[in-house]
Amino acid sequence: MTTVCDCFVSVLAPVSNDSRIIEDFVAEVMAVLQENFANYELVLVDDGSNDDTVMKVTELLKRYQCIRLIRLSRKFGEEIALSAALDSAIGDFVVLMRPNWDPPQLIPEIVQKAREGTGILFGIRNNREGDGMIIRAGAWLFYLYCEKVLKINLPKNSTQFRVLSRQAVNAIMQIKVRHRYLRTLIAHIGFNTGNFIYRPINRSGRTQTRNLLKVVNLGINIIVNASRHPLRAVSWFGVIAGVLNLLYTGFAVYSYLFGEHVASGWTSLSLQNAAMFFFVFLILTVLSEYIGHILIESEDRPLYYVYEERNSSVLIADQERKNVARNSIEDEFIQPAPRKMVG
Amino acid sequence: MGRRDYEALVIGGGIVGCSVALYLKRHMDKVLILEGEASIIQRASFVNQARVHNGYHYPKSLLTALRSRVNLPRFVSEYPDCIDQSFEKYYAIASHFSDVNVKQFMAFCQRIEAPLEPAPAAIRNLFRSELVEGVFRVQEYAFDAARLREGLLARLRDGGVELRTNCQVTKVLSSASQELEVHYESKGEQNSVVAEYVFNCTYSQLNQILIKSGLPIIPLKQEFAEVALVEVPVTLRHIGVTVMCGPFFSTMPFPARGLHTLSHVRYTPHHSWQDITEHDCRDAAEHLKNAPRRSNYPHMVMDAQRYLPSLRDSRYVDSLWEIKTVLPKSEVDDSRPILFGRDHGLKNFTCILGGKIDNIYDILDELETWRQEGGLGQ
Repeated sequence: MTTVCDCFVSVLAPVSNDSRIIEDFVAEVMAVLQENFANYELVLVDDGSNDDTVMKVTELLKRYQCIRLIRLSRKFGEEIALSAALDSAIGDFVVLMRPNWDPPQLIPEIVQKAREGTGILFGIRNNREGDGMIIRAGAWLFYLYCEKVLKINLPKNSTQFRVLSRQAVNAIMQIKVRHRYLRTLIAHIGFNTGNFIYRPINRSGRTQTRNLLKVVNLGINIIVNASRHPLRAVSWFGVIAGVLNLLYTGFAVYSYLFGEHVASGWTSLSLQNAAMFFFVFLILTVLSEYIGHILIESEDRPLYYVYEERNSSVLIADQERKNVARNSIEDEFIQPAPRKMVG
Repeated sequence: MGRRDYEALVIGGGIVGCSVALYLKRHMDKVLILEGEASIIQRASFVNQARVHNGYHYPKSLLTALRSRVNLPRFVSEYPDCIDQSFEKYYAIASHFSDVNVKQFMAFCQRIEAPLEPAPAAIRNLFRSELVEGVFRVQEYAFDAARLREGLLARLRDGGVELRTNCQVTKVLSSASQELEVHYESKGEQNSVVAEYVFNCTYSQLNQILIKSGLPIIPLKQEFAEVALVEVPVTLRHIGVTVMCGPFFSTMPFPARGLHTLSHVRYTPHHSWQDITEHDCRDAAEHLKNAPRRSNYPHMVMDAQRYLPSLRDSRYVDSLWEIKTVLPKSEVDDSRPILFGRDHGLKNFTCILGGKIDNIYDILDELETWRQEGGLGQ
C-alpha cells in the first residue's frame, strides 16, 4: 500500500493524433494519480491533431476531474507543445511523458526520487530497439562529441520522460530561446540531476523506425543550440586557411621573381584551390547554421498560439440518479475517496 | 374584477429583486417580495467576488465594458456606505495564454475612457516578470454585501415594500380574472397571492419556477462555483489583483468577512450543466446542497502563486459556494448581458437575470421603458 503524497503533481503529455491510445493512457494516469497523490493535474497539449483525439479527450473531461486540455492552433512540434504545458503547469513537481512510450506506473516512484533531492530526473531508456546500426553508431558519436568536446552533460539515451521540480520549471520558463530542446535547457540550468532507467512501452503497438535524416537534423540542432564549438572550430579553420593562403602568396611572388619553370605547377594550383574551397564551403555551412538560428531567435513572435483550453467538468450526480439515497451517490460517483494529507 | 392582493410581486430578494421592487413601489401601491431564504441578499448577491465593475474586466466585450463604466458611478452614488475604497486595485496582464496583451489593454482602456496608470515599482516587483507582461493601477471597488443587505432592508422598510421570507414559490399561474396567482409554501403551509405583475428574479432558480409552473424554460448555463476566502499576507492586504485575460486568478478584498476572495477562471467553476430542455434542468438549490464540496483552493493557490509569489503565505479560511448562472451566448465573449423576458408564457410574468451587481441599472432602464410604453401601473 502506497501512502498518499501531499505534494502537488502535474503530469504533462503532448498528444498528436493519439486517438487510439488516449483513453487507455488517461485511465492509467488518473488511476495512478488518484491512488498516490492528494493534489494533481493532467495537462494534455494537443499539438494539431487532425483525427478525433480532441473529441475523445473532451469526453474524458466529463469523466475525470483535474484534467486540462490545451489545444495549440496548429502543429508546433513536441518540444514546443511541452513548453506550452510547462508554462501552464501548476504542480510542485512536473512529470513530462509521451503517451505512447512512457509507463504511468512509474510516476509515484520517480516523483518520490525527485523529492528526495535530485530535483530533476531524466528517464533513460534501457534499449534502442527500432534504431538501425547507422543511427546507433551516430548516436554513440553524438554523445561522445557532446561529452568530450562540448562538455555538455546530456544523459545518454534520455527520453522526454522526466521529472522537474518547480524550481527547475521556473528556471526553464525564464529561457526565451525559440529552438527548445528541453534536454539542453535542463543541462543549461544546472541544479541536481539524476536519472532512472526504464523500459519504454509501445502502447499503440505500431513499430516505429526513426528516419535517419530527422535524427541527424535533431542532432545538429541540439549541438548548434547548445554550443558555439563548431563555430569556433571553423574560425580556426579559417585562420589556418588564411595563413596557408598568405604563405602561398609569398611562394607565388618568390616563384615569379626567382623561379625558372613558372608555367608548370598545375598540380599544386589545383590542390591549393581544392583545399581552399573545401575550407570556404565548410565555413559557409557552419555559418549558415548559426545565421539560421540567429534569424529564428530574432523573430519577435510567440513560441506558440493556444486555440483553446478545456477543463474537467464532472457532474457528480446525473439526472437518473436523483432518487438514489445520498450516501450511495457519493460512493458511486467520481468524487475521489476521502484522503488524509500526509506531512 | 376578482381578488388582487398586490399590484406587483417579486420572487427573489437578491439585489435584482430588491431593486425591481423598490422601483415598482415608486409607481404602485402594493408590492411584495417573496424570498426563499431567511433574509435578503443571501445567495448569489452575497456569494460573489464583491466586485463593482468599471469596465476593465471586459476587453472582449466593449458593450459590457461601456455599460459598466456608466453604471459604476450610479452604484457608488446610490450605495456610498457599501463601497469599500480603502484598497488599491491592480490589473496584471499575463505573458502566456492571455487573450489580451499590454498594448491592446491600454488601447481598450483608452477607448472606454477608464483611468489606467502603470503600477509603482513596489507593486510591479510583487509579480514574476516572466509570467506577467505589465501591471496597471485601476479604479475599481468592492462592495460590502452585509452592509448592502442592511441598507436594502432599511430602504424596503422605508419605501413600504412588503417582504416575506422563508417562502418557497411552488407555482405561478394565470387566475380566472386574468391576474397572476403565485402559490408558495411557508412553514409547511400552502398560501397563494394574486398580483397583476409577477417578476421572477431568482437567478439560478429561474427555470425551476418555470418548470413547476409548466412554462417553457430559458436556456441557461449553470456552474457549481467556489470562491475561496483567504487571509492574504500583509503585503497584499490593502490591494486587489486581477490577472487578465484568460485562465487566471483574481484576489479582492471581501469586506463582508474582512478577508480576501481568491477566485480562478479555471478552478472556480467545478462543473457545469446547461438547462436546454426540461429534461436537462437540475434543481440548482438541490444541487448546491448535495454536490460534494472538495475545495479547489490548492489548485487556485498553486497557480496564483506562480504569478504572485507572496500568495504562498496566504491562509485558507473558508469557501463560498454558489450556483452561477449565465446566458449561454455570453460564453464566447465574456459579456454579461441581462435577460429581460417580458410576458414569459403568461401575460405580465417577467423573468429577469442579471450577471453582475451593476446590471440592476440596465434592468431598471428596461422597466422604465416598459412604463413609458404604458405598462406597470400607468
